[in-house]
Amino acid sequence: MACARVPLDEQQVTEPGPLGREHTLPALHPTRKEDRCFVPYKSPPEDGSPAEVEEFMEHAKFITEDLEWLLTLPHDKFWCQVVFDDSLQRCLDSYLHQAPRGLDLASLPSSPAVADMQRSVHRAVFLTFLRMATHKESKENFLTPAVFGEIIYENFLFDIPKILDLCVLFGKGNSQLLHKMLENIFTQQPSYYSDLDETVPTVLQVFDTILDKCGLHCEGATAMEPMKLNAHKQPTAMAMSQQDLVDLILYLCDSTTTIHAFLDIFPAACSSFHSHGFLSRLTSFYEAAVPELEKAVRKRNFDDKGLQQDLWKRLSHSCRKMVEMAHQLLHHTCLQPILEGGENMQTFADELLQHFTSFFT
Amino acid sequence: MSPPRLTGALRSFSNVSKKEDFTEHLHDLKTKRLKRRELFAREGLTWQKIVHFCSEDQDKAKRQAANQELKSLLLAAKEIVGPDQGQAAFESAAVFLFETFHNKDHVGTEETRAIKQMFGPFPSSAAEASCACVARLVAPLGESRVENFIQSLCSRHNPQRGSSFGRNIVLSYDCYTLDPLEDLPCSGIDEENVSLDF
Repeated sequence: MACARVPLDEQQVTEPGPLGREHTLPALHPTRKEDRCFVPYKSPPEDGSPAEVEEFMEHAKFITEDLEWLLTLPHDKFWCQVVFDDSLQRCLDSYLHQAPRGLDLASLPSSPAVADMQRSVHRAVFLTFLRMATHKESKENFLTPAVFGEIIYENFLFDIPKILDLCVLFGKGNSQLLHKMLENIFTQQPSYYSDLDETVPTVLQVFDTILDKCGLHCEGATAMEPMKLNAHKQPTAMAMSQQDLVDLILYLCDSTTTIHAFLDIFPAACSSFHSHGFLSRLTSFYEAAVPELEKAVRKRNFDDKGLQQDLWKRLSHSCRKMVEMAHQLLHHTCLQPILEGGENMQTFADELLQHFTSFFT
Repeated sequence: MSPPRLTGALRSFSNVSKKEDFTEHLHDLKTKRLKRRELFAREGLTWQKIVHFCSEDQDKAKRQAANQELKSLLLAAKEIVGPDQGQAAFESAAVFLFETFHNKDHVGTEETRAIKQMFGPFPSSAAEASCACVARLVAPLGESRVENFIQSLCSRHNPQRGSSFGRNIVLSYDCYTLDPLEDLPCSGIDEENVSLDF
């Protein structure tokens, strides 16, 4: 066990070496990790065939056992495992990639046993991320904040896509806890703000891609990018295959829900989105894409009326999320500074009016 | 297959996350089981200790009977792990079976799952045989004595309760659900054809 009241990153430990002789080494050292072999997560089977259920249960049992073991490790051993065990990071990543979201088409597990197991994995994964986002567990167990920031950033323990996944998977009902986690991560490692800044154009690109797939273009986007010569040949939302339309609406639904959850949990991110003109691009997108997609869902001939209803709900949900996102952005970047009464109140008020004017034109 | 996701696009098209090919590193369940067996073998309870425990303080006849059962248990263990493994693997498997069946009178779902998780697919007859062997081994020893013996040696039965990070955290399992603004208009009437020229 490492000694107390010294940050973990400065501690040394004396342990028996491979040949049985005692040796001293840094408390955070690759030789101190256990060879545990974490397995990747697989999502619960949709059709519930016994073999697939068995496979899911087996993977999930291994993961919960291993993560519960990880959570019982002392602070120094936990961080050795987290930093040096690639299989652990791949296991956590696979959960963020594969775990069913509440909005997925088939998100309900097929049996109570599967649902229970899924909840166990869900909890263990969340607690692992929570512990990874905590640089001070107690008076004795802590990392130097700057070193903590460096560790989580350099080892990709957190990155922007992971943070967004965490928000959409765990945000509902755990927003306070997630807010604390994200606040600590961004405070101790400001490079995440730069990464966020770098990510927003890709988010905008996602909206442009949706427009592109519908054979449309966005006002803000055309100014920056040359139009493809074959752009007129793009299929429209009415003409594309039904599967493409389904995918497009699922994509829109996921994107809007994810960004909304992130901004809701971590409003400090609003300024990064705002600085890229996100609000005006979002409104242009809404204006161009929503009527087209609504028309397609209403007028196309669906053999499965349930699917048509579902797509409509998803589209309507996306609209709500886009409107709420606009509220969040306006609130945190214009209204809040006015309410706080800072120096540039007039500038913020002008900006707010400008936004309202552009909404009406 | 996962549906299209924003975070998938961000991982593919931005430079803020680690680029990794997941298919390269997938640990199969065989490797995992092997690792679990290695970890189990380090847990404190050994075949020698079981042999000693089952045959100590017994008269000659009972000791002989116990030795016979121990041999049978080892044979069943060999069938479960496969004959291509070494003696150490058979003994470790026999320890696992002893621990699994010491308080069971039949092979239930939980036991089947536990054995499969440790060794993969196995002949059910071997599991039945080992369960019967263990029952005959522990019968003359007394339930509480066997329980104490296992509890005192097996670290799995003595987890550091209360020391797990986040044990007091109440996690909400709620998830985001669809929150539409409006339902699909029933008729799907083409509103563009409705004249607004009054």
